[in-house]
This record gives sequence, C-alpha cells and structure tokens, in this order.
Amino acid sequence: MDRKGTQPIAAERGTQSPARATLETTFIVDVDVHVHENPSEMAEYAADPWDVALREIAKVDERYLDLPGMSPRAEYRVPFPGGSNRPQIVTSAKTMWAELRGLHVDRAVLFPDHLLLLAMVRDPRFAVELARAYNAWLHERWLTEQPTLKGALVIAPQDPLAGAEDIRRYAGDRAWACVYLPASGVRPLYGHHVYDPIYEAAVETGLPVCIHSVEAVYPTFPFQLEVFQTSMAQHCIAHPFAMMANIVSMIETAVPVRFPELKIGIMEAGVTWIPFIMNRLDKEYLERRREVPLLQDRPSHYLREWYFGTQPIEEPERRGDIVKIFDLFDGAHRAMFASDWPHHDFDHPQYVFGLPFSSEVRSNIMGGNAARFFDLDIPSEIAGA
Amino acid sequence: MPEYPVGRTRELPEGSHHIVRAGNREIGVFNINGEFHAIPNLCPHQRGPLCSGATSGTIDYGSHTDWKLSWIYDGEVITCPWHSLEFHVPTGRCIAYPSIKLRKFKVLIDDGEIRVVV
Repeated sequence: MDRKGTQPIAAERGTQSPARATLETTFIVDVDVHVHENPSEMAEYAADPWDVALREIAKVDERYLDLPGMSPRAEYRVPFPGGSNRPQIVTSAKTMWAELRGLHVDRAVLFPDHLLLLAMVRDPRFAVELARAYNAWLHERWLTEQPTLKGALVIAPQDPLAGAEDIRRYAGDRAWACVYLPASGVRPLYGHHVYDPIYEAAVETGLPVCIHSVEAVYPTFPFQLEVFQTSMAQHCIAHPFAMMANIVSMIETAVPVRFPELKIGIMEAGVTWIPFIMNRLDKEYLERRREVPLLQDRPSHYLREWYFGTQPIEEPERRGDIVKIFDLFDGAHRAMFASDWPHHDFDHPQYVFGLPFSSEVRSNIMGGNAARFFDLDIPSEIAGA
Repeated sequence: MPEYPVGRTRELPEGSHHIVRAGNREIGVFNINGEFHAIPNLCPHQRGPLCSGATSGTIDYGSHTDWKLSWIYDGEVITCPWHSLEFHVPTGRCIAYPSIKLRKFKVLIDDGEIRVVV
C-alpha cells in the first residue's frame, strides 16, 4: 500500500491487465513540451526599442538552444559528425499538436526553448520585454489557435515586480496553466524574499509556479559546470542540482509556510534525487531547526505537497526500482508525466506507461495528477470514465 | 524463411540506406562499402525508428582501437534519432551496451534485386 494506505503503487503479481488500458485509451497530460521562439514574430509584440533588438537577433544563425543575444549560453561540446538527425524544434501550434497526438498526448503545457536561459540575460529591461513579447506571441499564435495546448507564463526573475504585474495581467485567463520560473543561472535562488511578489501574484491568480532549468555553464551556483569536460557530465548535474538548490533555498526561507496556497512544480530533473533531498533536509532540520523557525514540520512534509515532472525519467536496469523511488516521494499522487518533446532527451509516454505501476497509479501519473495540479478542464467523456 | 524483394541495388548506392517493408516488419537496408546489411527499424531502447537516423562513424576506445582514442567505423554507425543510441550496422552491436545486438537479416542479391530474408 502507498503512504496514505489507499492504493498499491506497484502492480501486484497476476493482477495486471495490460490489455485493459492503452496509450490511446488513457488521458495523457504532457506537462513539459517546448516551443521554439521566433524572434522576428516576437518583435511584433515587443515594445520600442526592444522590437528592434529582436529583429537584429532574427538575423543571426542559431544553433540548438544557442542564439546570441537571446539565449546567452556557452557551448563547449567538441563537434563530431553524426548524432541524432531528428528535428528538435517545433515552430507552430499546428505542428506541435500533430506531433503530440502522435504520442497520444491529450493536453500539454508549453515551455519555451531559448527563454530557458532567460535568467542569464544581463539587461533586466530586455529580459522583462523578452518575457512579455513571448507571452503575447505565445498567447495569440499558439494558445488561442490550439486550446489543448496550455501556456507556462514566462516571468523574468531579474525584475520580480514586473513579473508579478505580468501574472496579474493575465489573471483568470484559462490559456495559462502556470507561471514559469527559469532556474538556469538564476540569482538569487527562488527562496529569496525578492521573489515574494511573484508568489503573491501566483497565489492571487491561482496559478501554480513551475521551476525549470537547462544545461548551461554560468558563474552562479550551482552552474559553475566548467569543472567538467563533457556535456555528459554537465547535463547530468545541471538539472537536478538546479532543482535541489532552489528547493533548499525555498525551504530555508519557508516559502511553503509563507505562501501555503502556492502550488509548486519541478520540471525536467528526473525523479531519483527527490527522496535524497527530502531526507537530507530532514536530517539537517533535526539539528538546526532554530535557524528555520518558520517551518512547522520537517521539510519533507512540505515537499510531499509539491509536484514533479517525470522527464528525463531514469532507466534503472531493474525497472521495478523506479517504482520504489516513486513511492519514496508519493509519486502516486505527485508525479506528472512529461515528455520534454521535441528535445534530445524526450521520453516517449510508452516508457512511463509501461512501468510496473498499478493501473490507478499509472492513470494518476499519466494525466490525473497534472489535471489536478494545473486545474485543467477534463473532457466529460474522460472525467466520467 | 520468406524472402521479400525490397528494391534494386542501383537504388541504394554506397553510403545510403533505405527503410523498407518486408511482410509486417520495417527494416533498414544499408549499402556500406558495397556490402548490403539489413536490421530492424526499431531501437531496443524506447522503440524509436532507428533507421530513420543518419549514418556516421563514432569515437571509441578499446582493444579494437589498440587502446587509442579513435574515430572508427566511418559510415557504419546508425544513430537513433530519438535518443542518439548508436549501433554498428555490420555487426548489429550497440556501441554503448555491447551485450545488446540487433537482429541481422540475411540479404540476397539476385540479378540486381535486393531480397531480405526474415
């Protein structure tokens, strides 16, 4: 039985009926897919003089998540021929929806490509305008055109007051599923009081906040990844360490206590580290509680209320091990399927669907938990199923 | 075992590969240095369309490279477009996990016609 004693997380031997549910018959919410920005189109939504800058950026040849002026990313990979030849960008709502339907996805939450690196843009005025132009562009060109695609509202952490203003601007607009907090290179970390206006606005408008990182080498903790020589090493560290750093920061300033109604999601860091940081924080709390007196309970009890995207889900040799990991952070109620489509390390829903969960837990992870977290409208035929 | 005609040799010049249907299977047929090879168009990792990837060489190190870091198997490696897992087509061996080997289908050439035995 799971922690709450309501349902077994793993399939019991002999009780599994794979023929009963399929990807086609399962309500699937993909909580992390990526939109490729078009700087030239975004310029149409940007205020003077930033529209001029966006048109300049549009003249520059871009590489994968690497566009000078917009995604300030140092790229250290040694180039060799070969590798994946799959297009890893999607540039229109129509294409995105067709590709997601090919993965049997019923609803999706859109995060950006280049603006994954927004926190590293040095001019805060430009960062704010990039976020605003992106939001307006996404709303008109993607979310309105394809309502099954929901937006993650981008805010620039360089100016939290502007971010709060942007959140309130779209208050009540069901096109948005959440507020996106860029984590790559962000400073200070998201527990700092400077971000309180963002959390206040998120609570006020009922939008969850989702933290999402990206691999980058940057002189802020924990992104001093120049100590590694390969992308294999940098990518291994970048996402989970960014999440752990921000989680620890948010726990030490008691964000879940100060904003008890704030819904918090963690994206694209896999899942195996979650039990580690829960237990590590609990251990420190035991000895150092007087430093964090706002906390009314051990840190893991707060983290068990947070939600986690599954991608890039780890693939242990014994597939059942991943089920044990999910049990350790109440993944039955908190894990949300994410593909990260169309990026290089996307997870096909078939993999998560095929893990040895009980049918009820599988249904939760593939869509039910996300529908609850993002307050998605669920089609009646599915809701009644 | 059934044989399926999958094209003419002139349609598959050296360095190229095609995805063909043989019965109910999708198969990648490769012409590597004048030798024809056939493997499933199915990556054993997450069932990606392996043979829609590109061929190249790869970097490797071991007894087969005389313990020197080397660029080897040029034109003989297919990379899955989904997650970049590499396979050496002539042997079917997965570069990252040598214990994983793809099934190799026998290829027959008969008067310029390529036939795959499945």
